[in-house]
Amino acid sequence: MTNVEKYTECFVKAFALRDDEDVRPLEYQSIAQWDSAGHMVLMALIEDCFEIMLETDDIIDFSSFEKGREIIKKYEVDL
Amino acid sequence: MLLLKGKTAVVTGCLRGIGRAALETFAKNGADVFACCQREDERFAEYVLELSGNCGVSITPVYFDLLDEDAVKEGAKFIQKSKKSIDILVNVAGANFDALFHMVTMEQMKRTFAVNLFSQILFAQYITRLMLKGGGSGSVINISSISALDGNPGQLSYASSKAALIAATKTMSSELAPKDIRVNALAPGVIKTAMTDTLPEDIRSRMISKSELKRIGLPGEVAGAILYLELTAALDRRGGFRTCC
Repeated sequence: MTNVEKYTECFVKAFALRDDEDVRPLEYQSIAQWDSAGHMVLMALIEDCFEIMLETDDIIDFSSFEKGREIIKKYEVDL
Repeated sequence: MLLLKGKTAVVTGCLRGIGRAALETFAKNGADVFACCQREDERFAEYVLELSGNCGVSITPVYFDLLDEDAVKEGAKFIQKSKKSIDILVNVAGANFDALFHMVTMEQMKRTFAVNLFSQILFAQYITRLMLKGGGSGSVINISSISALDGNPGQLSYASSKAALIAATKTMSSELAPKDIRVNALAPGVIKTAMTDTLPEDIRSRMISKSELKRIGLPGEVAGAILYLELTAALDRRGGFRTCC
């Protein structure tokens, strides 16, 4: 499984989406599941998946699937 | 009966006092424990080895200084790398820089709040995220102090930082309850620890005289209250704080 697939899977798991759902357009609060509580579940899954600890500023800035990719790259994850 | 069999706990301040008593109580009740301490200590490492052997549990020392944010993060990262799901966090570690109101320096205030509040929150942010990865469920117990409620001469920074910890506990509780993570605080009376050994005699006597038992409490008694809270909290989903001893 590639890192992009792993990253995508975190969204699918965190928000209980269908496996074939396109997660790329997702933004914070664009679906009911991505609320503040869902956001923290997503952060926890991503941290666990890539064995990183996100800075609080990055958790706040993590506003979309694409923005998240940029942020995760800072942690030396090839995404 | 092993009341915490199969659970994994993270306890801070394990080198001595209430933290060490909590570590022992948890291990004796079957929990695996990440035992967090400020610094490496050979005697502590030997004690941990013996305790884990006697109880048949895994005890992993984790060393970090709560005054160092990066070290706190490294400590959490170390725990994360174990890939164990965390069920319980007990924030015991604390600091006390006694000084009268007109004598307390802002540096003392900052150091006290750094250890007793800011780092507790930072560490809890990391550890509760580890609880969330498994779909939630867990428990956080913050150790406050009766000084947070009563105040004491010479304890401005300590009492106010511990009062702030109670407020933080209530907020954390309301935010994390929907994810089935319970957050509670305990406010022990004066307990026989290295920290209270340094209290001026008049303050210690005054605190003891205000307690119902009219004697100094023991770390094991607080550990018992932590265990009680952990077990009853599983039934009682409300967060909040309780006093003991």
